[in-house]
Amino acid sequence: MMLALEMFRSVPRHLAARAVGGRIPGVLSGPVAPLRMVTIDEPAVGKDGWVPLRSRLSGICGSDLGALSGRTSLYFSSLVSLPLVPGHETVAELLADCEDLPAGTRVVLDPILQCAARGVEPCGSCREGLTNRCDRITVGHLKPGLQTGFCADTGGGWGERLTAHRSQLHVVPDDLSDEQAVLVEPIACAVHTALRAKVASGDHVLVSGAGSVGLLTTLALRSLTAAGQITVVAKHAHQRELARTLGATDVVGPDEVLRGVRRSTQAFHIKPQLARSYLLGGVDVAIDAVGSRQSLETALHATRAGGRVVMSGMPSGADLSAAWFRELEVVGSYASAAREPAAEGRGAFDIAIELAGEPALSGIASAVVSYPLHRWREALDHAHSAGRLGTVKVAFDPRSSR
Amino acid sequence: MSRPGFVLEVDDRTPPIVVHEGEGFRLEQFPLGTRVIYPPESLPAVPDVEAAIQDALLHPEAAEPLPELLRPGMRLTIAFDDVSLPLPPMRKPDIRQRIIEAVLTMAAEAGVDDVQLISANALHRRLTAAELKDIVGERVFRSFYPQGLLYNHDAEDHANLLHVGLTDQGEDVEINRRAGESDLLVYVNVNLVAMDGGHKSVPVGLASYKSLRHHHNSKTMVRSHSFMDYKKSHLHHSAWRMGKMLAQHLNIFTIETTLNNDVFPAPYEFLLKREWEWGIKDQASMLAIRRGLAVAPDRVKHKLFQDLRAPYGLTGVHAGETEAVHEKTLDNVHRQQLVEVQGQSDVLVMGVPYLGPYNVNSTMNPILATCMGLGYYFNSYRGQPIVRKGGAVILYHPVKPAFNQLHHPSYVDFYEEVLSESTDPAVIEAKYEQQYATDPWYIHLYRTSHAYHGVHPFYMWYWSTHAMDHCDDIIWVGADRKVAAHLGFRAATTLADALEMASGTVGPSPSITYLHNPPHLIADVR
Amino acid sequence: MTWIGDGVRDVRQMKQGMRWGRRAQVPRSAEPWVPERRSSVFASEWSRQKPAIAAREVAQKVGLEPVFRSQVRTRVHGLDILDRIEGPVIFAANHASHLDTPLVLLSLPDAWRRRTAVAAAADYFFDTWWRALGSSILFNTFPIDRRGGSMATTPREVLDDGWSLLIFPEGTRSPDGWTQHFRMGAAFLSHTYDVPVVPIAHRGTFAAMPRGQNWPSRGRRQLTIRFGEPLRPKPDESVRDYAPRIKDAVAALLDEDRTTWWESQRRVASGTTPDPSGPQAAQWRRIWEQSQSPDTVTQARGARPRPVRALRAWTRERVGR
Repeated sequence: MMLALEMFRSVPRHLAARAVGGRIPGVLSGPVAPLRMVTIDEPAVGKDGWVPLRSRLSGICGSDLGALSGRTSLYFSSLVSLPLVPGHETVAELLADCEDLPAGTRVVLDPILQCAARGVEPCGSCREGLTNRCDRITVGHLKPGLQTGFCADTGGGWGERLTAHRSQLHVVPDDLSDEQAVLVEPIACAVHTALRAKVASGDHVLVSGAGSVGLLTTLALRSLTAAGQITVVAKHAHQRELARTLGATDVVGPDEVLRGVRRSTQAFHIKPQLARSYLLGGVDVAIDAVGSRQSLETALHATRAGGRVVMSGMPSGADLSAAWFRELEVVGSYASAAREPAAEGRGAFDIAIELAGEPALSGIASAVVSYPLHRWREALDHAHSAGRLGTVKVAFDPRSSR
Repeated sequence: MSRPGFVLEVDDRTPPIVVHEGEGFRLEQFPLGTRVIYPPESLPAVPDVEAAIQDALLHPEAAEPLPELLRPGMRLTIAFDDVSLPLPPMRKPDIRQRIIEAVLTMAAEAGVDDVQLISANALHRRLTAAELKDIVGERVFRSFYPQGLLYNHDAEDHANLLHVGLTDQGEDVEINRRAGESDLLVYVNVNLVAMDGGHKSVPVGLASYKSLRHHHNSKTMVRSHSFMDYKKSHLHHSAWRMGKMLAQHLNIFTIETTLNNDVFPAPYEFLLKREWEWGIKDQASMLAIRRGLAVAPDRVKHKLFQDLRAPYGLTGVHAGETEAVHEKTLDNVHRQQLVEVQGQSDVLVMGVPYLGPYNVNSTMNPILATCMGLGYYFNSYRGQPIVRKGGAVILYHPVKPAFNQLHHPSYVDFYEEVLSESTDPAVIEAKYEQQYATDPWYIHLYRTSHAYHGVHPFYMWYWSTHAMDHCDDIIWVGADRKVAAHLGFRAATTLADALEMASGTVGPSPSITYLHNPPHLIADVR
Repeated sequence: MTWIGDGVRDVRQMKQGMRWGRRAQVPRSAEPWVPERRSSVFASEWSRQKPAIAAREVAQKVGLEPVFRSQVRTRVHGLDILDRIEGPVIFAANHASHLDTPLVLLSLPDAWRRRTAVAAAADYFFDTWWRALGSSILFNTFPIDRRGGSMATTPREVLDDGWSLLIFPEGTRSPDGWTQHFRMGAAFLSHTYDVPVVPIAHRGTFAAMPRGQNWPSRGRRQLTIRFGEPLRPKPDESVRDYAPRIKDAVAALLDEDRTTWWESQRRVASGTTPDPSGPQAAQWRRIWEQSQSPDTVTQARGARPRPVRALRAWTRERVGR
């Protein structure tokens, strides 16, 4: 038996969270969260390659908060199985030997439950190593679930124990602390985003959002691409500083984006009637690292004709006129691939583990705030307002009881 | 009878003294011994303005009477100062209107058909139709504007600029083509301060950016000590060279006017009085207006102040050859504004009012407030600055991060982008000036909308840097802390705090001078 | 709340800085720049226009007269001379109290009263608008300068308009009730504009309301007033010679009021009219004598005592004597 935070099916809570969550964020960590702390059986998948793990640190991701507040599109409802234990940004240690890895090895999880983990013939995407595009995420040994943390069978990082398949495990070098390691999964996503952006040498890139996704994407862009100017949209003062440390050349406030971009690209500013203003001209590549309507539109409106817009946050609708009229390449960026085609087939996690040791990240890693499971309401509340409180990553430490 | 300006020494009998701060004013009890420089009282106005204008046109300085210069078939262009003068705007009828009407009457009598009127706004924003109408009057407006013969000068309209040549120092002289190709160019000016007028009218007001940058750049502007004394201003030296050259190519008939110090209409007249002479009505007005302003929403306050129209009186009108006219004009300006001050002091205190030349009908943004305080007011001296080298300047203004997007689009970016990186004029000029000057969007807005040219904020900043170089401490009382820090200054809540902050530079009991303006004054520091 | 708080602070600062309730002061270094104090005298032509005349009639008849009569008793003599002359004239009276002006005005027949203006010191009565307004409405004052200087209104204009003038040639109220030095103003005006002077002598106003008191003493004191024969400058008489005649006429009237017409005439003839400026005695004795109301004097001389008629409505407490 183990302690875990369990997300369960509750239509009333889901609807309530959806209805009022935006206005009264307090209720999301309070009465309407479809989350509870329970004592349940440890998860187990009795198949080859699966191994029990002890969760050491597991981050709270924006998508977790989205799921808890009911803001996630119903599109995903068949891709998860309830009740589940969330937590996909997880550092854990093996409780048993697993193929080449001895018990006690510290690992980070690539949360994607692709063909290999499900024991089915590899689909076309998995064969090419584009595991994030796996088509078989609802079948096989496991109940449906696109990732660990969204599947009822595997458990998640927000419980004391979970189980994972060898294909998901990446060994954490000894010189990385748990706090650095918990950033590996989000860095891997950022790496994937940066590679999806196909930045040409000297391109002007706009990163809309300076939460963990935006900041880590900035780092990845600076490290992996030859981007020229990187403009980051940041709301809070500490985000501005971090963005600069991580490689941004300009930082602008959310209200100043178009003006700032206009100035540095000498574009023309158009103010339509009763609609948001936009630029004719603008950056070469824009990355939406938030997923809100406003942020996505900012990205669309600030990109030059024929430019590229990468949706890194889970999008929630926007006016796509600019995508049509300016012939933008709008691409999605979901999780990360086992073999990144744009990085000569290297795994995103391998690159991410290297980047996690970057000195520029030390500020973020040392500021990771961890909570024990029983203080989950506090933890969620903190994660909701992380930007304002000057925190980049909030995590659960299931081993702790304080 | 008007009394001359003088220097008050604050003693125990001195009542609190008015200090302007943006759209409002406060009463400040200055430390004992503070010197307060009061401008001369308003000079008596010329009783018959029409007669004075006729006299000036018929008996010009070093030139033939205007009617003799007019003949049928000639091209006549009348250029006039834009809305940045006078401050605050003049109660109707504007003096420019009366002069232009007189000139046009003579032109009509002489049978001149080809007449155009140009607002000499250089890189300033285009005036709206209503603003043009306010300046030239309804009659002139109706006769010329709909026909497209009354318009704003466009420093970026390359087809309509004329490159006249180079000065002996290699400076491009390029002005409005119509003006440059006219048989007679009449320039109608309002000489509010000593900086205006002379050869600063045509070679600057009607120039292209290419020509302007020879005198409007960080080098000339930092080295000009001060703009109020054209003989010591590098900016003016360059303009004078251009003017002398233009005078050889072009027949220019300059008409300059000077105004008295009646800058505040009722019920604000008390601002023109010396505080110890305030009557009950003045005191009640002050209290009532202060309370009113405290509850008034910002928009109402803004409108209230921007709608002020000054009941100026004319103190002189002179016409003829530019330099001869300007000497007479300067005499008039000095008669109205010059105050003799003995010696410099450690601290200079100035209240920055709601209006500067570049925010008529607009917002005084942080850069304009800086320029008004450190450019305009700080440089209101002859001889030497009022504050000693290495002293401190204390300014009053709320300095809010408010910008008018229509009029000052490049100011916002200058503030956000350029000042975030550096406040050093040399750095700014090297890295950004060209970018801003050539930004097609700013040029577009300057030419078609009502925006100041993209490069204009740079001039504002250059102008202020003489003060920044000269003083070790610049403190704003009542300013938004963040904005002050962004501009590279410090903010204090009260004068006492500011003096405390400055004590590191000037010691615990510095000598203080307060410049009691508006109305405008020039300190002749001996 | 901060709005009110700030307002209070502003008012307090203004009160302190502008010395509310005290005289404004000029900073020492600003003193050379203070303009010569031009006598800022308020124009008073309006006070001789119809609306002001009407207002004054109401003010005097409804306001002034009942109050005046309730506080003092008056005895008027010699009004018959006014039947014999035409205005305008210059009334020249001795001056001992603020009661003098209402006493003279209210003693005049209505027709004369309505056409009489009072010369008042510009520096006192016309330096604030409210004092100028009040005194003009109530007494029809017009400003004259005690030190000589140009005025907004000149006595000449007033006389030319047919108004009589009331002038107190002493220029200021007597400190002890005895007459002081007579200035030449009345004589000068009479001489220059050829207007007769009607001398007036009155007694008792000092006793009723001396300098420093702003309301008549209790007990309805007796006042007496006596109009004398009009004087005109003789041909070739200079102002300097003419002026003492006015003073002598007032002195004789005072003597007459104290005694009888016959006795006073005899003393005039013998040149023994008592000096109206009083005996050369200690100050207290001079005041002591003048602080006696005329009726008590007559009582002491055995004349028929007059009953004290007190208007109940105006007595603030029972009169004890």
